[in-house]
Amino acid sequence: MPKISDSIDYKDIVCPFCSLHCDDLKLKIIDNKIYVKSDINESCKDKFERNNSTSINTVSPKINSKSQSFDTVVKHSKKLINESNETLIFNASADVNIARELIVSTSKINGIFDHINSETFLKNIDIYQRKGFMSTSLSEVKNKSDVIVLFSDNILKNYPRLVERVLAPDNSFSVKANKKKIYIIGNKKNNIKQSFKKDSRIEYIDFNIRDTSMLIESLKKKSNKTSIKDNIFNEFLQRINNSKYLTICWATSELIKNVNCYNTISSISEYVVSINEKSRAACLPLAGNDGDVSNIQTTGWLTGFPSRIKFTGNYFEYDRDLYHGNNLIESNNIDLVIYVNGISNKKLILNKKNKNIIIGHPSTKYDIQPDVFIPCGIPGIDYKGLIFRTDNVVTLPLVDIKIPTYRSAQEILRRILN
Amino acid sequence: MTTIHLKNGHVFDPANRVYNKKKDVFIQDGKVVKSLKKKSDQIINCTDKIIMPGAIDLHTHIGGGKVNIARLMLQEFHNNSDRDYDLTADFVPSTLKTGLQYIGMGYTSCFEPALLPMNARQSHLEMADIPFVDKGGYALLGNDDYLLAMIAKGAHQSEINDYVAFILKASQCIGIKVVNAGGINAFKFNQRALDVDEQSIRYKVTPRKIVNVLARAVYELGVPHPLHVHCSNLGVPGNFKSTIETIKAAEGLPIHITHIQFHSYGDNGDRKFSSASAEITEYLNKVPNLTCDVGQIMFGQTVTMSGDSMKQHKNHKHAHPKKWLCMDIECDAGCGVVPFKYKDQSFVNALQWAIGLETFLLAEDAEKIFLTTDHPNGGPFTSYPHLIKLLMDKTFRDDLLDRLAVDIKEHTILKDIKREYTLSEIATMTRSAPAKILGLKNKGSLSAGSDADITVYDKKLNDIEEMFAHPSHVIKDGILVVKNSVVQDYIWGKTQVVKPEYDPSIEKKLDKHFKKFNTIGLSNFAISNDEMSEVIGSDVNENECLRKRIS
Repeated sequence: MPKISDSIDYKDIVCPFCSLHCDDLKLKIIDNKIYVKSDINESCKDKFERNNSTSINTVSPKINSKSQSFDTVVKHSKKLINESNETLIFNASADVNIARELIVSTSKINGIFDHINSETFLKNIDIYQRKGFMSTSLSEVKNKSDVIVLFSDNILKNYPRLVERVLAPDNSFSVKANKKKIYIIGNKKNNIKQSFKKDSRIEYIDFNIRDTSMLIESLKKKSNKTSIKDNIFNEFLQRINNSKYLTICWATSELIKNVNCYNTISSISEYVVSINEKSRAACLPLAGNDGDVSNIQTTGWLTGFPSRIKFTGNYFEYDRDLYHGNNLIESNNIDLVIYVNGISNKKLILNKKNKNIIIGHPSTKYDIQPDVFIPCGIPGIDYKGLIFRTDNVVTLPLVDIKIPTYRSAQEILRRILN
Repeated sequence: MTTIHLKNGHVFDPANRVYNKKKDVFIQDGKVVKSLKKKSDQIINCTDKIIMPGAIDLHTHIGGGKVNIARLMLQEFHNNSDRDYDLTADFVPSTLKTGLQYIGMGYTSCFEPALLPMNARQSHLEMADIPFVDKGGYALLGNDDYLLAMIAKGAHQSEINDYVAFILKASQCIGIKVVNAGGINAFKFNQRALDVDEQSIRYKVTPRKIVNVLARAVYELGVPHPLHVHCSNLGVPGNFKSTIETIKAAEGLPIHITHIQFHSYGDNGDRKFSSASAEITEYLNKVPNLTCDVGQIMFGQTVTMSGDSMKQHKNHKHAHPKKWLCMDIECDAGCGVVPFKYKDQSFVNALQWAIGLETFLLAEDAEKIFLTTDHPNGGPFTSYPHLIKLLMDKTFRDDLLDRLAVDIKEHTILKDIKREYTLSEIATMTRSAPAKILGLKNKGSLSAGSDADITVYDKKLNDIEEMFAHPSHVIKDGILVVKNSVVQDYIWGKTQVVKPEYDPSIEKKLDKHFKKFNTIGLSNFAISNDEMSEVIGSDVNENECLRKRIS
């Protein structure tokens, strides 16, 4: 264990914050403060360096906004749990080991377990629960894909290094890197504004991604029924038809705004499946940045289901509708929600009609004051951990790069539930 | 730690040539001992009991990406109403249920045969959450671009050996497996088949060459488990020829052919599908250094999961229910998950069932053939007791053959085979032989100093299937975990690995390759013992290599 005054240089550090989990970061720790040495996007840097501020490091546990000792909040949390008739444990972002603890915790209190993004990630799982699916992973896209189609309005905001590290890399061994063609389809203005650097391999097509199914249908029928100009469409179609390994990529969190999200993903998937009759193509759905994949995988091997589980004694049941966390909260069918937020910076929207406990990293945002707030450390900064990457294939090790200011989420859960 | 005295049992311990001998077995500090100095803490009267070492499953898909895809894909089958377990289906059980069901059948060690190095953490995480049993994995090589490029460039065998040894260490595995050598990679370049002597379009390398190079690497490194081979042409009628050619590719070096039933098909007859078990077992019986596991199919719903994305993509047309997933994975390998229902009304499925049984029964040496269903590809591991009964009871076997919905009797020699396996042979094929072939010196045996992984069966049960399904007592690492067929304490087994030596300069080359082409760095690819223990949650037990590496 390093001392606070130690200065330590780290390399090959895994970023816990977005689901790409880039693992090439160079960091320096001076006086237990983190400094990112890699030349990366400012927003990526900020996710580490914001943890240096005094205000972040002096957050105390709170009951109704008032600072209390840890033992007092533990006691009060236990009381709320004991008084609750129906408790929801809501994974707001966690690595594998927190997710493991969340399942154990839910079983201890005969509670309900869900992930805050389950409505989104279930849409992707729906595809292979209902029909065929061809998928791929990041290194395959980097090295084998000659044509990549990405549907997004905001991809670089949510996945800042996706283009640089995966879609348009400097090196690629099966396809010459300079022969790759990347189509970013969506809000052209926005996507160009966010782009890191100019790259002639990338073509931005202005398009309303709500009409993705229509574009896929046009590609299938080789007849343009979209708002895209014919000459652009025809060149795009030709590229796709000549591709050796096509990848179609999307972020379901963007498509979910579309009422026909499932149909959109389904149409992409069916198109990819049909291409594979004669050539090669694959889907690359991008996961949310709140430990979604770690949640799906961990809950999957522990229970057989991705989320929305209720425990009763040693038994549990899954019901996609009945144990839908957000619906339970909105319909006031729950009297206590325990949010566990190990990583994400997304604001938690609480319902004041039920009691709320947040076990969250110190910069966790929320709209109304919870009944209890207990700050916890971040896996990958304060604690070791493991996190799944967006492609569901690679799990990366998170290391403890500084001396933790706060207890781990696992320890807090054990304390309030024992 | 408590001491246990198993008193007056009928002991089957093939590793020590003990067959049905009345004996006492003593346990102290997690090990079998010759005797106890003091009165034991627990005495179990085994007068009417059979004592065997804990069983070992050397090929069962219990952890990793494809297993979890199947769990999530087939949620509608998670409707188990037995409250001893969770809801998950027997063919895709949760990690908890996997452990409960294995220990409940007296299995104390299980090996995941398709661990993709890039997916190693997930496999180990899942296996770490399986209670009771020791576990291990075989790292998948032979479709990774790095190795294929090395072979294509004519790299020296010693350099390949360094790479193989590094992969074993980095992925914390006990063996090396090759699946459809080169075929998974070729599929990424749109090849749809790759026969043993066919060159892949991209690397101009044949499956024969890949198998040869890897079998040699495993042998020269002194890895106890021979190269574990899933042959080319999985499930293709007439594939027995390529299976034999694959065996020949090892040029006499040790080789293990897995789920050989799926690779023992002829193409004779009206339906162009026939049994080639006789040809395959003739080869098995005469060729030294050749072992196999069967991959017996069982009728009913299951799910097929394989790294063989080339063949699984082709098989998706037979999916039942109609859903499936195929994936290209990290320039490493691939996977295909296709649910399937084996029906006894189907000529092909019925004959597959018979081919598996023929293979078991025609194999002369129980040390060369292992009891598997390739869980869950041929059926769930929970069907092992039924399979054992099929092997031990000719009347039972013949009755089932007669009752098949489709008449295959003209196409199988099953009824002509009189052989019934003995308990000694079952003990050999499920205990001593897999321990030996995996290099687990302290397992599969009741010698003093062996790990006290022991199963006690109730001899009074007339039905052999019932006896093997519900052992009365199971001891793992010296702890009585099953008593009167009821699980007592939860314990967690270790991960069995092997770490042959290698020239560390391979890491520099790999580091460069990873930096340039992969999407993670080498340092984050490799899993340390500390990470296994502290973060993943399973301690590592390093097994010895057979010898110092040869080159």
